[in-house]
Amino acid sequence: MTSPTLAVELEGISKAFYGVHANADVDFELRWGEVHTLLGENGAGKSTLCSILAGLYRPDSGTFEYDGSEQSFKSPKDALAAGIGMVYQHFRLVSNLTVAENLALGHPDVPLRISQRDLERQASELGDRYGLPVDPSARIWQLSVGEQQRVEILKLLYRNVRILILDEPTAVLTPVEAEQLFTTMRQMADEGRSVIFVSHKLHEVKAVSDRVTVLRGGRHVGTVNTADAEAKDLARMMVGHDLVLSQRTGDDVSGDPMLSVRDLRVNSDRGLEAVAGMSFDVRAGEVLGVAGVSGNGQRELAYAIVGLRKPTSGTITLDGADITNDTVLEHTDAGIAYVPQSRLGMGLAPGLTTEDNLALKAFRRPPYSRGPWLTRSAFLERGAKQIKEYDIRGVRPGLPIRLLSGGNLQKALIAREVSLNPKVLIARSPTRGLDVGATDAVRQHVLNERSKGTAVLLISEDLDELLALSDRLIVLYEGKIVGEMRAEEATAEKLGLLMGGTGGEH
Amino acid sequence: MAGRRLIVEPRGLASPLLLVMVPLASVFAALVLGAIFLALTGENPGEVYGKMVDAAFGDGRGISETLISATPLILTGLAAAVAFKMLVWNIGAEGQFLFGAIFAAGAGIWLGDGTPAAIAMPLVIVAGAIGGAFWASFAAVPRVYLGTNEIITTLMLNFIALNFMNYLIFGSNSPWRDPGVSTFPQGRPVPDAARIPEFFNRLDYGIIIAAFIAIAVYVLMDKSRWGFEVRVVGDSAETGRYAGIGVPRKILGVFLLSGALAGLGGSLFVAGPVGALDPRSLDLGLGFTGIIVAALARLNPLAIVPVAVLMGALNNSGPALQSIGVPPETVTMLQGAILIFAVAGEFFIANRVRRPELEPTGSSAAEAAA
Amino acid sequence: MNDWWWVSTVAFGIGLGTPLAFATIGEIITERAGILNLGVQGTMLVGAVAGFWATFNTGSLFLGVITAIVAGAAVSIIHAVLSITLRVNQIVSGLALTLFGTGLASFLGKVGSDPLVGEPSRATFEPIIEGGIAEWPLVGPLVLGHDILVYVGVVTAAAASYYLFRSKLGLAVRAVGEDPASAESAGINVSRVRYIHVLIGGSLSGLGGAYFALALVPTWQDDPIGAAGWIAIALVILASWRPWRALFVAYAFGFAQFLELRLQTLGEPWNGIPSTLLAMIPFVLAIIAMIVFASGKRARFLGAPAALGIPYFREQR
Repeated sequence: MTSPTLAVELEGISKAFYGVHANADVDFELRWGEVHTLLGENGAGKSTLCSILAGLYRPDSGTFEYDGSEQSFKSPKDALAAGIGMVYQHFRLVSNLTVAENLALGHPDVPLRISQRDLERQASELGDRYGLPVDPSARIWQLSVGEQQRVEILKLLYRNVRILILDEPTAVLTPVEAEQLFTTMRQMADEGRSVIFVSHKLHEVKAVSDRVTVLRGGRHVGTVNTADAEAKDLARMMVGHDLVLSQRTGDDVSGDPMLSVRDLRVNSDRGLEAVAGMSFDVRAGEVLGVAGVSGNGQRELAYAIVGLRKPTSGTITLDGADITNDTVLEHTDAGIAYVPQSRLGMGLAPGLTTEDNLALKAFRRPPYSRGPWLTRSAFLERGAKQIKEYDIRGVRPGLPIRLLSGGNLQKALIAREVSLNPKVLIARSPTRGLDVGATDAVRQHVLNERSKGTAVLLISEDLDELLALSDRLIVLYEGKIVGEMRAEEATAEKLGLLMGGTGGEH
Repeated sequence: MAGRRLIVEPRGLASPLLLVMVPLASVFAALVLGAIFLALTGENPGEVYGKMVDAAFGDGRGISETLISATPLILTGLAAAVAFKMLVWNIGAEGQFLFGAIFAAGAGIWLGDGTPAAIAMPLVIVAGAIGGAFWASFAAVPRVYLGTNEIITTLMLNFIALNFMNYLIFGSNSPWRDPGVSTFPQGRPVPDAARIPEFFNRLDYGIIIAAFIAIAVYVLMDKSRWGFEVRVVGDSAETGRYAGIGVPRKILGVFLLSGALAGLGGSLFVAGPVGALDPRSLDLGLGFTGIIVAALARLNPLAIVPVAVLMGALNNSGPALQSIGVPPETVTMLQGAILIFAVAGEFFIANRVRRPELEPTGSSAAEAAA
Repeated sequence: MNDWWWVSTVAFGIGLGTPLAFATIGEIITERAGILNLGVQGTMLVGAVAGFWATFNTGSLFLGVITAIVAGAAVSIIHAVLSITLRVNQIVSGLALTLFGTGLASFLGKVGSDPLVGEPSRATFEPIIEGGIAEWPLVGPLVLGHDILVYVGVVTAAAASYYLFRSKLGLAVRAVGEDPASAESAGINVSRVRYIHVLIGGSLSGLGGAYFALALVPTWQDDPIGAAGWIAIALVILASWRPWRALFVAYAFGFAQFLELRLQTLGEPWNGIPSTLLAMIPFVLAIIAMIVFASGKRARFLGAPAALGIPYFREQR
């Protein structure tokens, strides 16, 4: 099915949030009846572009043509009414309602009096037609994540959208579920609808899409026919080459293993095995980079090493001592420092002051406290010293730390963790969302730790960062280590392929 | 995206002036609203307010009665403040207060006349704290170990406590009931040795004890390791876990402390002005008023003392209004209105409201919106 | 007739339970939209005084009821503004409303040169059928011998149940109470839905309050409703947020309350049970029900709205 006009044509789209460009002068065209992939790393501007298409954001500049005429949606409701719908990474389903009720919710054509039976019949017909089988009378919380995603897609099909945007839909799916989803996507495209597929898993991109648009740093890098592109070309387009930041210098260390992980298995929140038997060592004075698309066990691995989650089996050894089943406090006291991914969600107490947050791990000991009493002056003196030393800006007396900028939050977090003089430092995506200056400062701190002889486990999705800082790299895919290499042997292409589950030479 | 609407964004640091002005403004607004009601119903607001001030602060007797009313409010206010600060919604200060009174009166009666004051008085006061914590535990333990919503359980426990107290005095021949009086049941007096001495008209040292407890709570929350841990967990339980703080035990501890404080209110009342488990003197909604006190004091333990005095003054001035033919419940209405304006003011302390035309500049605005 | 004492007790229980049913159904509707309103007690009192005042001045029961409904909705605006627009803590806001309402009701009952307090109502709700079929055994006292508001209560439960579980609007209400962000993304105006249902809840509380003043104790007194507003909040849980169940738990509670009085008149051994202990039973049951059925994640299965009590911030970026 072909149409003379394009489904969507974006020209020169820019969108900035408080002066930071999420999209800069992006061109994008979508044909009717195609599956079109948006490829890019985290922060490349994919989600912003999708949100503009779905009516959530309005572009600062540029033109947006939909089906041949100019559009400016005021809300997702408008976009939906015009036929553009999006499945967000975080599902927008009401978990205590049934599948059928979720389809009917807010739908303009549903009659005032709802017939549960009619709704359920329509829902299951629609599901059958698109190969999205789901029990229409089930409540959302009873469904698996994959089934919930089907409901999200059904919700859009029930509203008869012509363009479906799927924001990293496979991130939460098993390979089999992903295959089913691809079949559905193809079917929708064959009917003349268009599908925008957001991903950074290269093998999926190759498998399902007609064309690929690559974004990097908020800019359009290029659009290619999938058939003409090799996975490694796409990987290079996605990662780019613009290394101007601090990187590792000096020879490899050959210290003793400081942190040893053996046959580690850890469950996710949902009780599924997220870390499925990992073994590795990190030596003193070494940065071990952990590459992988998020959701492949990084979170659970970090939690287990920090003591926030008990592994189901395996051992964790720190400097020769088994710490597998110790508490968080014991892990901290033994010398494990952790810079979590979510700064305000876990690393810092948002409503407390910077000085309080800087003392968050050491407050049990002198000089911060003596016996049961705190020494306030120590909080202030030590705090002032660290604020100066780590160049944390914007601190005012009594100001809750959440009001500092992201870079300053991260500096505070690192200042606190590093000042514990840890044996092992675990950092997850430490530069995510930071500007160049703050990124460089954070990288510098990581490298300082390395030269002080700390064993550093750097978990990141930013390949540039991993390549610049790591001595060695391991790649995670579905809870397992699928690749291990020395930094000198590693390239972005190689890592990108392994991260996408395309075995490479391994 | 905000279109024409006013933009609401979190304010970084509210100035100390704002922190004082908003509660004062809410009291003022409530008085204006009250004046409107009074005027509409044919009363003279000036006369009414004058009478109230006179009754509460006009002479030594007024002041002493005001401070007597303030004493239990300091404790129930502290109970609410300590719990709310940690997002523990203990609205059962009422019941914990009554159980404090029951335990205190029970301890006093059990000790009997022979015990010296130096032993009896502290024991009775501490018994109240234990009683309050005991009653709080019925909500605290399910909350911490089963995840039971404490709002409803503490609320229900209030009514059980009230009925239980009535049972002890009206429904049974319990040791709390005065056996000498048969016409209308009343509580058996606690021995004089257990009573807190008076020092100014009817005012006893309970007010001093209450003020000291407020300072102690302030020191505990602000200067102790335990208080620091409580503040961390109250701010973000996830961060608390990450920092190695035992979150469930902290919640339990705060809940029981809150109950103990309310219970102390009960024991100070029994060992002070009331002198017995007297349902008519105890069923005054002091636990609920404590929540207003805490809200007006913005959960600051030290600010609770003056706010409790203000509320005590209002409570104390109510009966005097009857002499000029104005319903004493005017005072309850005013308290409700003060609370309404105070919580509304909270929004303006926490947020800045501005027109959308003024685009934010600088990083602090960017962070504020993120 | 003494053999049938329990029949009349049940019949009276239905009467005593009716105002509780109104308030409980009202609170269920409010909570289903995600707003916890602890101002029920105050709202009921305001409804009671407003209804009594209107009937006292006009002689019309109908106008009394309408005034009570309007007054109940009007004072609950306070809670709506505080908790929805200003996103104030709903507990504190609800308590403020109760305190204010309690004071206001007493104040209005006593103020002025010719206060209401102590005055009998100029009209009261009476059974709509007197004699005849209303004296049939069992069916008469239990089903046919009530005043009109008892039947309005039954209709309210039916209507509320249909509205919440069978209608498109009710679906939106439940969605807003469960997951406002998802509801918003489906095109529903969360704030509007919440405002409307706080007001509906308030008007039903007001009606419940008026039933006390115009049917159960038709002489204005300072505290005509006891702890009915607080009991209603407990009954919401016992009814697991479902209007039909609310009707029956309210009747059961009314029955228990009347039984308290009745037992005192029955002689040995019944009069030995202290009423103060009996009065605890519903509260104890509510706590046990909370702990057993509504702890942690189980609250969801029972019907507790997931977003209950949580202010909603529209996503901003």
